[in-house]
Amino acid sequence: MSYSLADELRMRAESEIALLFTLRPDLISPVPPDMSALAARANSMPSVMRARDALNKWEIDILTAICTLGDPISRMEVLSMTSKDAKPAVLSLWQRALIYKDGEHYRVPSNVRVAIGEHPAGLGPTTTKKIDFSLLEEAPKGATDLLQRMVWGPPKGQVTDVKKAPPAIKWLITNNFLIPFDSQTVLLPREVALHFREGKVFKELQAIEPTITGTSRKQKDINLAAIANIGTFIRWCEELAHNWSDEPPVGLKSGGLGVRDLKRTSEHLGISESCAAFVAELLFIAGLIVIDTDDQIMPTNAFDIWLTRSIEERWHAIASLWLETSRMSGLIGKTENKNISALGPELDRAGVSLIKRNTLELLEKNLELDPSIDSVNICIQWLTPTRANSDYVEWILREAEWLGITGQGAISSFGIALLNNQDLGIETALPKPVDHILIQADNSAIAPGPLTIELANAIGTIADIESRGGATVYRFNEASIRRGLDHGQTGNYILDFLKKTSKTPIPQPLEYLITDVAKRHGRLRVGNAHTYLRCEDEGLIAEILHDKKLEPLQMRKLAPQVLVSDIEINELMNSLREAGYLPAAENATGVLISAPLIRRAKSRPKPPRVVSEISIPTQAVINSAVKALQAGEKASSHKPRDIPRTTANETVELLHQYIEERVRLTIGYADTNGGVSNRLIDPLSISLGTLVARDHATGEITHFRIPRITGVGVANE
Amino acid sequence: MSDGPLIVQSDKTLLLDIDHPLSDECRRAIAPFAELEKSPEHIHTYRLTPLGLWNARAAGHDAEQVVDTLLKYSRFAVPHALLVDIAETMSRYGRLRLEAHPVHGLILVSNDPAVLREVTRGKKVAPMLGLQLDDETIVVHPGQRGFLKQALLKLGWPAEDFAGYVDGQHHEIALREEGWSIRKYQSMAAEGFWHGGSGVVVLPCGAGKTIVGAAAMAHAKATTLILVTNTVAARQWRDELLRRTTLHEDEIGEYSGAKKEIRPVTIATYQVMTMRRGGVYAHLDLFDAIDWGLIIYDEVHLLPAPIFRFTADIQSRRRLGLTATLVREDGMEGEVFSLIGPKRFDVPWKEIESQGYIAPADCVEVRVTLTEEERLNYATAEQEDRYRFCSTTLTKRKVAVALARQHSEDQVLVIGQYIDQLDALGEELGVPVIKGDTPVKERERLFNLYRAGEIKCLVVSKVANFSIDLPDATIAIQVSGTFGSRQEEAQRLGRILRPKADGRGARFYSLVARDTVDQDFAQNRQRFLAEQGYAYRIIDADEVLSKE
Repeated sequence: MSYSLADELRMRAESEIALLFTLRPDLISPVPPDMSALAARANSMPSVMRARDALNKWEIDILTAICTLGDPISRMEVLSMTSKDAKPAVLSLWQRALIYKDGEHYRVPSNVRVAIGEHPAGLGPTTTKKIDFSLLEEAPKGATDLLQRMVWGPPKGQVTDVKKAPPAIKWLITNNFLIPFDSQTVLLPREVALHFREGKVFKELQAIEPTITGTSRKQKDINLAAIANIGTFIRWCEELAHNWSDEPPVGLKSGGLGVRDLKRTSEHLGISESCAAFVAELLFIAGLIVIDTDDQIMPTNAFDIWLTRSIEERWHAIASLWLETSRMSGLIGKTENKNISALGPELDRAGVSLIKRNTLELLEKNLELDPSIDSVNICIQWLTPTRANSDYVEWILREAEWLGITGQGAISSFGIALLNNQDLGIETALPKPVDHILIQADNSAIAPGPLTIELANAIGTIADIESRGGATVYRFNEASIRRGLDHGQTGNYILDFLKKTSKTPIPQPLEYLITDVAKRHGRLRVGNAHTYLRCEDEGLIAEILHDKKLEPLQMRKLAPQVLVSDIEINELMNSLREAGYLPAAENATGVLISAPLIRRAKSRPKPPRVVSEISIPTQAVINSAVKALQAGEKASSHKPRDIPRTTANETVELLHQYIEERVRLTIGYADTNGGVSNRLIDPLSISLGTLVARDHATGEITHFRIPRITGVGVANE
Repeated sequence: MSDGPLIVQSDKTLLLDIDHPLSDECRRAIAPFAELEKSPEHIHTYRLTPLGLWNARAAGHDAEQVVDTLLKYSRFAVPHALLVDIAETMSRYGRLRLEAHPVHGLILVSNDPAVLREVTRGKKVAPMLGLQLDDETIVVHPGQRGFLKQALLKLGWPAEDFAGYVDGQHHEIALREEGWSIRKYQSMAAEGFWHGGSGVVVLPCGAGKTIVGAAAMAHAKATTLILVTNTVAARQWRDELLRRTTLHEDEIGEYSGAKKEIRPVTIATYQVMTMRRGGVYAHLDLFDAIDWGLIIYDEVHLLPAPIFRFTADIQSRRRLGLTATLVREDGMEGEVFSLIGPKRFDVPWKEIESQGYIAPADCVEVRVTLTEEERLNYATAEQEDRYRFCSTTLTKRKVAVALARQHSEDQVLVIGQYIDQLDALGEELGVPVIKGDTPVKERERLFNLYRAGEIKCLVVSKVANFSIDLPDATIAIQVSGTFGSRQEEAQRLGRILRPKADGRGARFYSLVARDTVDQDFAQNRQRFLAEQGYAYRIIDADEVLSKE
């Protein structure tokens, strides 16, 4: 009897299982109860596909070559079909449990073959018939050419009618060089193709990662550029959130941000729409903005907290999320997918994070290099052949630059630190904050460097920002001064503050502007009042105001004939009636209620989940998983009497194997009353949780429910 | 990180710290590609515009030089995206070329057929083009050179113009430097213009723009058409040319409402050029009367619309625009640049002042408090009459008169907008009033008397806003103006900026009615000068009146 994958996994050392979990982290969540469950999961289609996607081109090619052989497979065979250098790749495939050992040989789990495809490397099915290649010498005209054309796949050929095929094809069919598949299709047998491929599966194999090329840069310049990018990016984030706080865009019905709002935002920030979409996406992912219950898109409380942190912490909070996210903001607004909107539900793409990490690691391996996009693409194509996407690579490089992970296109030391969870060192690289401004005669003020947060906030309330960058240019005008006064400052306070903060004397026109505005500010008074009470009889007004019973209403006298209160109209009316007055309600229009200055969403932050990305578990998690697995294994190693009892997962695994090997089986099958009977069957296929097999007792094709199969064994012939 | 004088902002403005030891060097380095936007006391603002970058390309600078300069002087790291953008913008220049073709006349050529295809698809461009000769060449309809260049500029594919300029009819002109010599900035401006072919020279009022014009003529040595704002200015130009160049009286013609002379050097007024008879511009033919080698537009910021249109037709002639204040409240600055040519020379006012070529000026805003009654009337006035009402109040007049009397020893100009107000002021002060309906002869007589010092004070309307050369005027009192016009304020200050024989400074009073629209307009009016570093002092009218 041959080994199953579960058997082989049982024989692996603890460290090898741990390695498997590191290479295929999806197998560990949740921790499988025992080895059979692990084997079943490792052979499940989603997990196999994921494992395949993590392979580089070289490994995939070797796996494909292995799949062209039937089980069991000898290592020599694999090496001779591919290359002598394939040993490490074979080892790596084994470590990932994409192949497993059976004594000296290897076997391929059934779903791995499915994942590689029906025609691995463009090779057709094997044939049982004998092929005499010496016959080819006397083949009719055109026959060899025809074969040559099919050698590198696809192995299928179309003819109008196999029975009336031209003589060359007829001859090939007769001599088993082609197999008729149906009336219009012929197949090239694997053996024939391999003969013409001279025993090799692939024309050429690339065992080594391609190198990337580009312009070389100096690390000092890179870091300078990156710091500029980081500063700019943080500013974009702040500016966008502040802007959306003032004018919140309304989310689309289908979810996400409308094109017009995106355009407006990009114009406001002075950046391209793709860049604005990128900034918005990251703020969204970080939970700094949210689509509120009323569909308004607004900053959250988390944004206020974020603002209080240092630049380094702010950047790290966002950049680390960018590394993990499965959302690809480059897709937004592309002509071919018009309805994909920023913050919308359609941005998740499998493999984004993998390509991102690979791309950045490439940059990390090539320090001081601003690579050409083409060469990175070629490299990514090799690293992740099944997932590579040249658009993604271009967008990732672009986004890395916006974020400041790269500077001048090459990876910055901050980017490297981010990738390796090290101390970022951004704070020290940032230009020193300045604590003063220069005020000029044209009522502008210039902060010749980044301002401390407190100072920036203080000036921001009394001046408008005209230009941003390394420095900030502010302009004082009537509206901006008024804003400061609205925030509760006084004219004198503003003047003192400016005198203290400005390195240059305050020009007289500005001083006048501030005093003038301060003088006029507040001459008109606006307040909140819920209800008013008016009466032409001033005596009655006075009476109400002094009525002890009405004291809880806390009414205020605005004018001899008008009182106001903060109490709801119904409550006020009731209280007045109880006190013996006879009030009548009035159409209550014209009461101004001004909105709060800074608006925040009422909902809590709910950033989108990361989809289809599984992070690599820590060593501790892996170790405890291995322990749990071994415990489970002991518990389930209880053997049944006749046919070894297997779990449903194991059953499926075994059945797959036996179907492949076309072996006659005895199975234990539980009936509806729980009684177990043995059946002798020829398994045919598995579908929808049932085994399709020919039952020897009846001689008919029968469906067996897999959960009711208690065990599977090879029938003794 | 270097500690340079320059801060590069992400909105493409450059802030130059002029107190930095390297600021002078840096200013010279960035001048070829960055446009000076404002120059107050401490930090000057320059801006990188596509036009400026393309001009730098045209002058032989490449993107690498520009980027190097920015990196060299920058205090902080320069955003990479901005550098990429500069390189990208500059690389667009010269992909299209306008060339002269022996058979087809003017042709548009590009080595990049894709670019050519892109621009020929443009709705505005297509009608200006004729037959496509091959993938890289298209015939341009004659006379469309100016419009085509303008349209291509808007599309972001500026054409390099190799078609050249016509030399025009040769006429010998040279500077006659006897008892005076051309200043360095003047000759730099003239040379900057000459190498560029066409363009605008911006110099402060009183800094001698006429001499730049004369120097340009000496470079061209060809027949010249000079367009000026009014007849008085035309005569000043003539006098100045006679004094500074080898030209004789009979070589200079005046083409105005009074005379219609066409001579090798002809000075025409905008007014006569835009005069219409029977719906057609009767005098535009002057542009074709002689094969002009050079056309000078004085006070180019005032260029009227018909001249704009006509200028587009004469792109093969060299054009020089002169102005002190290229700000237009109608936002047409861009049109001026694309039709006359780019800014070739600009220098901060304070820079010229520090060299002693214009007088230092003290700008004073006098805040006048209206009486209770005036305030009430103001509050109830119609919206459109409010400015007129508050700027012509009796209180203001009293203050103006008091100020004029206090400066009875100096040469004083009282400038205003409203004729009744000016007449009243003239009467009260007992001095002549010059306004729109004053005949040219009378104007000249009065100005001459004023220059001679026989009249100490003149009341003038906006006719004296521009081009009037009154070297000894030291005090200007502005009582009202054209609402919030920034250039008017600057031009009026310009009347008193000629350096004084005794080195005295000038003083500019602007009377503003407190808490009215006058104050809002004043704030806008002062912006240009404030940006040039003229800090206004504010005093209260009571201070003036108490001295009485």
